Amino acid sequence: MSGRAGPAGLAWMQVRALAANTFREAVRSRIFYILMAFAVAMLLFSAVMSLLTIGSRAKIIIDLGLTITSFITVMTAIFVGIGLVYTEVEKKTIYNVLSKPLGRAHFILGRYLGLMAVLLVNLAAMLALLSLLLLLFGGFTWALFVAGAFIYLELAVLTAIALFFSSVTSPVVSAICTLAFYLVGHTSSAFLESLAPRLGSPAAKSAAGWLFHLLPDLNVLNVTNLIAYDIPLASGFATRALLYAAAYVALLLTAACLAFSRRDLV
Amino acid sequence: MGGPAIEIQGLEKTFTGHLSIGRIHALRGVDLSVPRGVIYGFLGPNGAGKTTTLKVLTGLLRPDRGTVRLLGAPAGKRDTRAHIGFLPETPYFYDYLTGAELLRFFGRLHGLGARTLDEKVPALLKLVGLEGRGNLPLRKYSKGMLQRAGLAQALLNDPELVILDEPMTGLDPIGRREIRDLILSLRTQGKTVFFSSHILADAEMICDEVAILVGGKVVQQGSLEKLLGSDVRFWDVALAGCPEETRGWDGAELITKSGDQMLLRVELEGELQSLLDRARGAGARVVSVAPHKASLEDLFLSHMPGGDA
Repeated sequence: MSGRAGPAGLAWMQVRALAANTFREAVRSRIFYILMAFAVAMLLFSAVMSLLTIGSRAKIIIDLGLTITSFITVMTAIFVGIGLVYTEVEKKTIYNVLSKPLGRAHFILGRYLGLMAVLLVNLAAMLALLSLLLLLFGGFTWALFVAGAFIYLELAVLTAIALFFSSVTSPVVSAICTLAFYLVGHTSSAFLESLAPRLGSPAAKSAAGWLFHLLPDLNVLNVTNLIAYDIPLASGFATRALLYAAAYVALLLTAACLAFSRRDLV
Repeated sequence: MGGPAIEIQGLEKTFTGHLSIGRIHALRGVDLSVPRGVIYGFLGPNGAGKTTTLKVLTGLLRPDRGTVRLLGAPAGKRDTRAHIGFLPETPYFYDYLTGAELLRFFGRLHGLGARTLDEKVPALLKLVGLEGRGNLPLRKYSKGMLQRAGLAQALLNDPELVILDEPMTGLDPIGRREIRDLILSLRTQGKTVFFSSHILADAEMICDEVAILVGGKVVQQGSLEKLLGSDVRFWDVALAGCPEETRGWDGAELITKSGDQMLLRVELEGELQSLLDRARGAGARVVSVAPHKASLEDLFLSHMPGGDA
């Protein structure tokens, strides 16, 4: 039929359509604007705090601003991500979608990319405001956007974790599990590094090592302090972080696709 | 792709509750063959397994046992789905989209380009009676309008086989007639329409063939002509001006009597003529003679528990 995409273009067109729809869903929801308003208020608060604190005003704005930016976008990733698949099944909107010539993996990928696009807009808006504040108060640095890129990598991993859980379980369980991954991801490396030398048996040391490699190490993706205090990133740091995040995302999305492809949509 | 539009053999599906407690045998060996180019009614009471069957056809559920082929190809495959249109029972849509946006979204999932959709979307909205409502958000649509939007999206890819789950649900009498006409026009275009329903009057009006599903099994299938036959089962005779003392006539069952008017039922053609002659002879006037053939409802009810099958 004329006007129909070929097999090669069809999958990409479907993924883009699903991503665009996910994006549209987010930007047409009230919660999106409430979160953005909250983010703006918190960033302005960081500027006010810098006026009341002893020390470099720019560093405080950067440190506090990036922490707020990271926190709000992470919460968006987790709490929107946990509903990406589940709500489609629960609201039965998925019946029409999956009756089309569409692979379930494309559905997962489209939903993931849609939320990543939403998070990119959130992050860009918050970084733009932060830049504006730093231009007003002095201390603007392009390194802010390097920190933003690392936050985005962390969001990519967390969204993939939330999406994986969304494809296999309920939002409450997904939220608990994803938040647990987030907390463990920021504490596991320090905890296991300090624990390993104290472990006596080689088996326990080996187990701690495996656990260290298995659990996500989100500190690898956290450069807020380095940026705030002008500490240069080590050579190859960014490449390693990018590869680490990409591997984690690929693994989680594959697991989500496999789990979802076996699921009956009752 | 040759062969019947739908071919199901030995289809079984069981649902298991949490912790494997409470198994429900939704389908217990469904066999079905739907020829191409017909309107096929898939009938059955609530819980018979109609929706489960339709979900297997569209790849939303995987069968436990049996084979299912659509248009000669295995059901559930992406290539197969490209040739079918599906309207789920009580369609649920993204209510933040407008009707036109919804159709464009589903069109993209079919791989339709922007230019094709520019032509197709308004034409489909018009076809289903939603002309001028395309820019309205779906959250403002009535149940009937959502059903029409659902039908429009099922036709986006110009499908060879259209599968509709309870398409008349939520429609008023005018809407039902319009959808019936639309289904008839699809057959004229050479498409096969397979629809589930428990509204037997609609099915009887438009179906070429039907299958009746009870308890997860097809208990009867075939053409309406074959299943219902063409013989008259009985005649209802309405008389007026009957003599006051008349209580009825031999061979005729009195259904009701009001003043000098009577409604009588006869089952044999010979008795009908005799009744009419005797009634006229007694001074009564024949108001109407209504022949009754077997209806789909009679057939359907005969398969229900307590039916006379």
